[in-house]
Amino acid sequence: MNLPGIAWRNIRQRPLSSGLTALSLALGVALVVATLVTGALVKRAFESGAGLGYNMIVGAKGSPLQLVLNTVYFISKPIENVGWEFYREFLPAARRSDGVDGRYAASTAVAVPTCMGDYYRSFRVIGTNADFFGKLTRGDGEPFRFAAGENFRDDDFFAGVIGATVAETLSLRVGDPFSPTHGADDGKEHDPFRVVGILERTWTPIDRGVFVNMEGFYLQDGHAKPLPDGVEAPAGPPPSGDGPAPLPEVQREVTAILLETASLPGLPPELTAMGLRTAINEGREAQAALPVAEIRQLLDLFVRPLELVLLLVTSLVVLVSALGILISMVGSSLERSRDVAIMRALGARRSHVLATVLIEAVMLAVGGGLVGWVLGHGIVAAIGPWIAANAGVRAGFLSSAPLAEALLVPGLVGLAILAALVPALAAYRADVSRWLQGSG
Amino acid sequence: MPPPVIQLEQVRKSFTMPGGERVDVLDIDFLAVEAGEQVALEGHSGSGKSTLLNVISGITRPDSGRVAIDGIDLGRLDEARRDRVRADKLGLVFQTFNLLPGFTALENVLVAMAFGSGRPDRRRAIGLLEAVDLGHRLHHRPAELSTGQQQRVAVARALANRPRVLLADEPTASIDAAHQAQVIDLLCGTSREHGVALVVVTHSAEVAGAFPRRLRLEDFNRAAAVLRRPAP
Repeated sequence: MNLPGIAWRNIRQRPLSSGLTALSLALGVALVVATLVTGALVKRAFESGAGLGYNMIVGAKGSPLQLVLNTVYFISKPIENVGWEFYREFLPAARRSDGVDGRYAASTAVAVPTCMGDYYRSFRVIGTNADFFGKLTRGDGEPFRFAAGENFRDDDFFAGVIGATVAETLSLRVGDPFSPTHGADDGKEHDPFRVVGILERTWTPIDRGVFVNMEGFYLQDGHAKPLPDGVEAPAGPPPSGDGPAPLPEVQREVTAILLETASLPGLPPELTAMGLRTAINEGREAQAALPVAEIRQLLDLFVRPLELVLLLVTSLVVLVSALGILISMVGSSLERSRDVAIMRALGARRSHVLATVLIEAVMLAVGGGLVGWVLGHGIVAAIGPWIAANAGVRAGFLSSAPLAEALLVPGLVGLAILAALVPALAAYRADVSRWLQGSG
Repeated sequence: MPPPVIQLEQVRKSFTMPGGERVDVLDIDFLAVEAGEQVALEGHSGSGKSTLLNVISGITRPDSGRVAIDGIDLGRLDEARRDRVRADKLGLVFQTFNLLPGFTALENVLVAMAFGSGRPDRRRAIGLLEAVDLGHRLHHRPAELSTGQQQRVAVARALANRPRVLLADEPTASIDAAHQAQVIDLLCGTSREHGVALVVVTHSAEVAGAFPRRLRLEDFNRAAAVLRRPAP
């Protein structure tokens, strides 16, 4: 039997007090782990959404952060719309009816328009074109993949693609009809669209999106820009096949344009992006926001302070847990004094009893800490589906906040040792003869 | 000729009472116990028997004088070395057994081995418990053992590190007559076979009678003699 064996026997000797101490520790650690991991997941959710195959978002003048949150994360309301004419400035001659390159076409590699304002149930409806899934990526650089069906065609006006969470939550399948509502999830119902594709899960906000062909979107009530009095609607592009005629361009607006900037000859891409952003922001029609920069700013402004608060709460919980060890061990010190005296009489040195008490504290801290760690990850796994549905990020038992967690258990052990120093020193100083008094 | 295993010279010890009064407990000019010698130590309550055992075992330091175990002067050692001497050279059987309540009989013996110089030897620990008829109680905790069984565990524990000195404080006070003889035989047999100096404190004239050397504390401890002296 060695010192750890003796410490383990001491723990087993007081099952209730040791068990309660370890349990309080475990609950504290579980709370801390669950909080840390969830915090890390939320942060990751923002970071992962910051690169979906475009590096700039153009939208109406206003808050660039609001533009990013609304466009990328489907959070908050759209600011306003920008005219179709402005969108056309990013298109090359081949894609414009007038056959002339747009003002910003040379700096643009990809320009995907999006229109917002409708809902299907509680999910955002985004009007866009086939380029969204054809030219943009999932955020990890990989192209979008379909779990069922395929991307919609631009000439299939009433077709839509839905994210994995939408399909799962609403049990929608390819071929199912769905009717978005105007302005809110209880707004006026629009014409029905048809699901032609269901995306594989991306663990990004895309999973929560209902994407419809913007040509169909424009044809819904309230989506056409009103014409000034006395102006007649010009004829729009010719209808394709038997379908309805598309909305004339003059009546069209877009909520945001997702841009992948091109490299101008002799200029690095960053410089092209900066130049384009400056040019757009100096104009009166729109603003350009860089999602990565905006998200970084958001993290600096809100998430980092929140992390600090979490860290403070975490530290307090761990401190209270360590105090639990102290209270438990001080509480049992009377009982311990006799045992210590016996061991000293058997030849244990003061350093032996000091070490035994400290090892006991470390065992309680490590045991409670590990149980708490498993429990904490269990909590994350249990609420994983909820996190996935609401934050669009994968959350399971193995989700982790590696650095914080790697510091947690050693930190706890360190604190436990500090807390146990009080009873350990008392044991160290125990008067052996006082506890072994005989009658003679 | 080797020195006595236990040797006390000019040993004095007094305690300060809560009221501030100083009471002399030990005042011994000389005491020696040779290797393999068995001594019964008798004396009335308060005559300093337990204090004497604590002084011999190094748990209590005398105010003055010399205490040597196996030729090692305990007064010249720091506390850690005294602890080591106690673990390696002394086996103690306490009046109140002083078994560790959370440990089984076997673990109580193994714990004593853990503090000695050798490695804990499970087989030997089991053998010691079997020698006191406790082979079937190895994994019982003290609370699950009778008083006599607890005392026998204490005896087995005292022998754990093959001590040079065995100090037993009333080792047979709580056990039945059949086991009294067994415990005394075990202690005396160990003393004879391995040259262990044995000092047993006892109130029992019958137990003391089994020892070749009987000492009354009042006869060689002046402090005890003073206490016994009737008031003039």
